[in-house]
Amino acid sequence: MMTGSGLARSGRASTSLRPLLPASLLYVLFFAVPMLCLFVLSFWRAKGFELIPDFTLDNYEKAVVSKLYRTLLIRTVVVGFVTAAIVVPIAFSLSYAMRFVFERRGQLILQLVLLSLFSGYLVRIYAWRTILGKQGLLNSTLQWLGLINEPLEFLIYSNIAVVITLSGLLLPLAVLPIYSALLNVSRDQMEAARDLGAGRVHLIRTILLPLAMPGVRTAFAFAFLLAAGDFVTPSLVGGTQSLLIGNIIADQFRGIGSNWPLGAALAFVTIAIVLAIYLAVVQILVRVTR
Amino acid sequence: MIAKLRQHWIAALFVLAVLTYLYAPIVVIVLFSFTTSPRLSMPIEGLTLSWYRSALDNPLIISALTNSLVLALISAVAAGAMGAAFSFGLMRLKRPHVREALIGASLLPAIVPLLVIGIALAVFFRMLGMPQGLVNTAIGHLIVCLPFVVLTMNARLETFDFSMLEAARDLGASPVRTFLDITFPLIRPSVVGAALLAAALSLDEFVITWFNIGNQQSVPVLVWGMMRRGVDPSINAIATLLLTLLVGLVICSNLLGRKKRS
Repeated sequence: MMTGSGLARSGRASTSLRPLLPASLLYVLFFAVPMLCLFVLSFWRAKGFELIPDFTLDNYEKAVVSKLYRTLLIRTVVVGFVTAAIVVPIAFSLSYAMRFVFERRGQLILQLVLLSLFSGYLVRIYAWRTILGKQGLLNSTLQWLGLINEPLEFLIYSNIAVVITLSGLLLPLAVLPIYSALLNVSRDQMEAARDLGAGRVHLIRTILLPLAMPGVRTAFAFAFLLAAGDFVTPSLVGGTQSLLIGNIIADQFRGIGSNWPLGAALAFVTIAIVLAIYLAVVQILVRVTR
Repeated sequence: MIAKLRQHWIAALFVLAVLTYLYAPIVVIVLFSFTTSPRLSMPIEGLTLSWYRSALDNPLIISALTNSLVLALISAVAAGAMGAAFSFGLMRLKRPHVREALIGASLLPAIVPLLVIGIALAVFFRMLGMPQGLVNTAIGHLIVCLPFVVLTMNARLETFDFSMLEAARDLGASPVRTFLDITFPLIRPSVVGAALLAAALSLDEFVITWFNIGNQQSVPVLVWGMMRRGVDPSINAIATLLLTLLVGLVICSNLLGRKKRS
């Protein structure tokens, strides 16, 4: 009797694990293993179009020493950081309004925000080029209205254009985690704090922000990491002065003078630096809101 | 009361401003797909459908569209099925730590930049000696779609009553019978919804596709090429068609998720 039920239980356990298998296998085989391959490749050498197995740190040395790559890395971190610094406060304010001002109707606004995410990634970047271009919608409208005589040159092919476009792309992604975090804060908690005499700023700083911190952290991660990893936006709306490290990495894989091992090393150096900065910022955020 | 009204008013303005920021590019593309002037600027001179005609006359677009639809179908069916099964398995795990760890791991491809996933796959297939093409791309799409399928399925399975399955088993139903007669009919709207989301993600995927598709084209890869070559207003027409398809898929996906709850 005992062994019978034990058998049944173990049988049940094995059937409940089986659904996990196909996806897990796919993840390991086509996500984890390829990442490992990329890492191994970063120690190889490239000779013409051939990849030569090796164990050399030359690629990493080139990635760190080269002035060009350093300039691009710094610009990438700054652009990613500025994008996150724009996106996260807007996402927080929007989530706050959806949760505590509009309440029920907030869900509808959330649907609209998320729907914009699915209007085409390339399409939106291209549209920003149309809007910000020298003879684009913004400039031609301002001129048509007589507000400016000459088109504003800084609107396109600049770091500003890259940040405006990336912020628009990543904002919906940042709203989702912050809004979910705010769903866990009840109106009663807010009312209670207000009844005890807490002002709005105090309320947000000492109650709302710490409670929403996991969401804010995720939102920052999305905005910063994805902005730092994008190369499509800089190549369409950024000029040669606004290229990011992603453009150089992409060029190593699809460009003319491509060098896969160097590209791989550049990718890992970028990931390491961006992750280190992300973790440092999160530490600071946690300390500030405590 | 007055304070509340004023707060409402400011918040409404703010929400409107943000929505304008998010939707301005979309409105611009749709608007300019109908204008006569090839120059994308104000004021608008006249309206025409000719960009749609020239877009649909382009044989490259038809082949790119076919490839995109094939990739979307594979993503919908395979990522939908695998992601749903994965999420279903997760819900039945008894240990919360293991479950949390697996959810975290399954979401990783959504956080790693697509550029890195794309080049990692290209390297992997090169090492295997597999030439670039649709198969490699389809696998890449599955990796990108899975986290989002798992996320939506997790949210939708939260209300699923697992005791029903125990009851069916106690009454003598085999696992296959239980799945076909009880589980699947109950989760079908959620699975179809998640699959439509996967199709939308796949249709929109550019970065991984670009590194793995080789000489073939998908709609985003074709659009990328056209953008780089310069101003051809039929891009706006193609973009609008793609946009309509994507938004339609996502709305259907959301409606299917909601039907189950009511």
